[in-house]
Amino acid sequence: MKNYPLWKIFIVFILVSLGVVFAIPSILYQEDTGNWYLDNRLNLGLDLQGGSYLLLEVQTDVLIEEEFENFSDTVRIIARENRVKINNIERIDEKLKVRFDSEEKLDEIRSSFLQNYRSVKFTVKNNIASISIDQLYRKSIKDSAIKQSLEIVRKRIDESGTKEPLIQRSGSERILLQLPGVKNPERIKDLLGKTAKLNFHMVDDDDSKSLSLNIAPFGKMIVSDINNEEVKYLLEKKSRVGGENLIDANASFDPTEGHAVSFRFDTTGAQKFGKATSENIGKRFAVVLDGVVITAPVINSAITGGSGIITGNFTSQEAADLAVLLRAGALPAPLEIVEERSVGPGLGADSIAAGKIASLIGMILVCIFMILIYGSFGVIANISLIANLFIIVSLLGTIGATLTLPGIAGIVLTIGMAVDANVLIFERIKEESVKNKKIYETIKKGFDRALSTILDANITTLIASLLLFVFGSGPIKGFSITLSLGVIASMFTALMLTNLLVHFYVSFTSKKEINL
Amino acid sequence: MFGLNKIIPVDSDYKFLNFRKNFYIASGIAIFLSLLLLFFKGLNLGIDFKGGTLIEISTNNSSIGELRDILSPNFNEVSLQEFGDDQTIIIRLQNENNQESIETVNKVKQLINDKVSEFRRSEFVGPTVSSELLWKGFQAVSFALMAILIYIWLRFEWQFGFGAVVALTHDVLFTLGVLSILNVEFSLSTIAAVLTIAGYSINDTVVIFDRVRENLRKYKNIDLIDVFNMSINNTLSRTVMTSITTLLALISLYLFGGEVIKPFALTMIIGVLIGTYSSIFIAVPTLLVFKFRPQDEDENEN
Repeated sequence: MKNYPLWKIFIVFILVSLGVVFAIPSILYQEDTGNWYLDNRLNLGLDLQGGSYLLLEVQTDVLIEEEFENFSDTVRIIARENRVKINNIERIDEKLKVRFDSEEKLDEIRSSFLQNYRSVKFTVKNNIASISIDQLYRKSIKDSAIKQSLEIVRKRIDESGTKEPLIQRSGSERILLQLPGVKNPERIKDLLGKTAKLNFHMVDDDDSKSLSLNIAPFGKMIVSDINNEEVKYLLEKKSRVGGENLIDANASFDPTEGHAVSFRFDTTGAQKFGKATSENIGKRFAVVLDGVVITAPVINSAITGGSGIITGNFTSQEAADLAVLLRAGALPAPLEIVEERSVGPGLGADSIAAGKIASLIGMILVCIFMILIYGSFGVIANISLIANLFIIVSLLGTIGATLTLPGIAGIVLTIGMAVDANVLIFERIKEESVKNKKIYETIKKGFDRALSTILDANITTLIASLLLFVFGSGPIKGFSITLSLGVIASMFTALMLTNLLVHFYVSFTSKKEINL
Repeated sequence: MFGLNKIIPVDSDYKFLNFRKNFYIASGIAIFLSLLLLFFKGLNLGIDFKGGTLIEISTNNSSIGELRDILSPNFNEVSLQEFGDDQTIIIRLQNENNQESIETVNKVKQLINDKVSEFRRSEFVGPTVSSELLWKGFQAVSFALMAILIYIWLRFEWQFGFGAVVALTHDVLFTLGVLSILNVEFSLSTIAAVLTIAGYSINDTVVIFDRVRENLRKYKNIDLIDVFNMSINNTLSRTVMTSITTLLALISLYLFGGEVIKPFALTMIIGVLIGTYSSIFIAVPTLLVFKFRPQDEDENEN
């Protein structure tokens, strides 16, 4: 040991100690403690602690369709103001074709249309106008929809009482959610599956003919009842007041109507609501949620206070959820769940237990085998292996990585592969010991010769696992993190720690030759 | 110490390359069969790549038959399978579209609620996502293989790169063929396994190639075949040792790591066996295709 550089001993000692010290929080503690040291612990992935992973897609196509409907309504209104008749309106591909009765006044119509929609293309050819939007316009519609959706989803999830949710944008039109510890993913999916567009429309009870023909005249629409699709209402298309003016909503209980949701409007909403109710006493007022009528009570008196209740055969859970939805606000476009992975706490706990047993047994088997083959040198390799595991766990903990089930597989695999560098070294030493008689020279040559092979071998594995990380998704990423860290740690332990231990062992036992 | 280290002596002298034709034929047949299998039978794609819904449940002493009787009349494509023990059952369903999945899961839960003691997991992958995952997996594999080969090409002469490609392709195809025969579920984690096999196989090949290169420099007057045989023998105990330790860890993972990880562990076990075989019997012999002695360049290096 006399000639062994002190700085090397020092570095190995420091790094291994750090590995052990920072692995302890991950091994011993499960919960956050608030202590900076103890919180250097690896996070368990949803597959291990239980919870839900959801990938939502914002249905922006719906918005584009809506936009085209707005165009067609606007054109009709402007044409009517200008007393020009429209023969028909057609959607052809990505264009809205409007065929007017005459070519007169089309310039006026065009300019007043463009006052409403600045960046829309409106071209006139003879008596036909075509309206279209460009990619930029589409993108801005989508972008703002995603941003709003993110906001609303966040509010809804917060209201649902989920702890530490992760909500982020993924790609151009998706939202990724990680909800640890969620026990009833169906309820969350229900909450997210509703657009929650709330609008108050006046009911037209005079025009029974349109209703029976099921054709809505201009400015009207036919909507069915939430409880019975056969029951239809003829409503004014333009809503009198909408959910965007709500400032509060709560589940409540009405002695006669059962579970209900009470709501309160802001000043603007209260004014609109007051106006609508005072002008239409005796008529019916429909509460429309996501395209179906929840309830349509007769207005008995003007409601000017800006608050009211919605009833409609709710269960207490439904009333509570509706209140959450109304408080959080409406989504700009429907969300579709395109991927879900929910794991119950039972399976997560089982996976952790199985992972622990598999790692432990794998390690014991490898250790026994190494001792059988290499004797004392096997013990050295095993010490390196254990140090290696401590270092992997401590690295995972300090970088705040998430341990998943495939991650555990990566660790178990590392146990098997980590001894490889040691094996390479020992085999080289064994070869050299045949030729060389000086023991320290033999050791040195063994390590030197093995070095380039170890580097080549490990760098190829590292390349594979880094690319897995970059291009892989979900479980692949978790696996590649532990495998990469394992490869890096095993290079260090083999080249530094094993080296030190071999020298230490040889000088301690004053061996003159190596019998591997 | 216990004499076990003498299983493979330092000076082993097996003439691996003398039987290379047999191994070429054996591997050729294996690859041909694998391709046939992949083409006609295909892989048992999991929901990651096929899309659909998967629900894992623990029953309270209900048999798989009872559950099947309840579910089959209600869904078009439903399959039930025991998962590890007879109280844990996996239910797989196909959905036409995304919206349907929520209703499907709710309906399943309602129908069998009283037979279930725990809903252990539910997974749903929509049609767009599953094709994306497949594409991404394919990308990950291709890029990883390319990067590895570029590295080999930079570190060694191109002939070695060729040998590595042959061995790698052999390993991946052969492994996929075995997965197809055994009907192992092919999922995202299986892709990770296949890639790790690629890494492992290359790793193994590189170690032997390293020695081939070294010996080519050292023994310039010995026949190529003998140099190659010697190189394989030099590294043989390492090759066997590392395979055994890796297999020990993987077998432990397969036996004790839980049901979910089994396909991954199995794929790895198959791959490690094939990878070890190919490094010795396929990768090195392919180098014989080139009548090369790269000593000219190497003398400058030294």
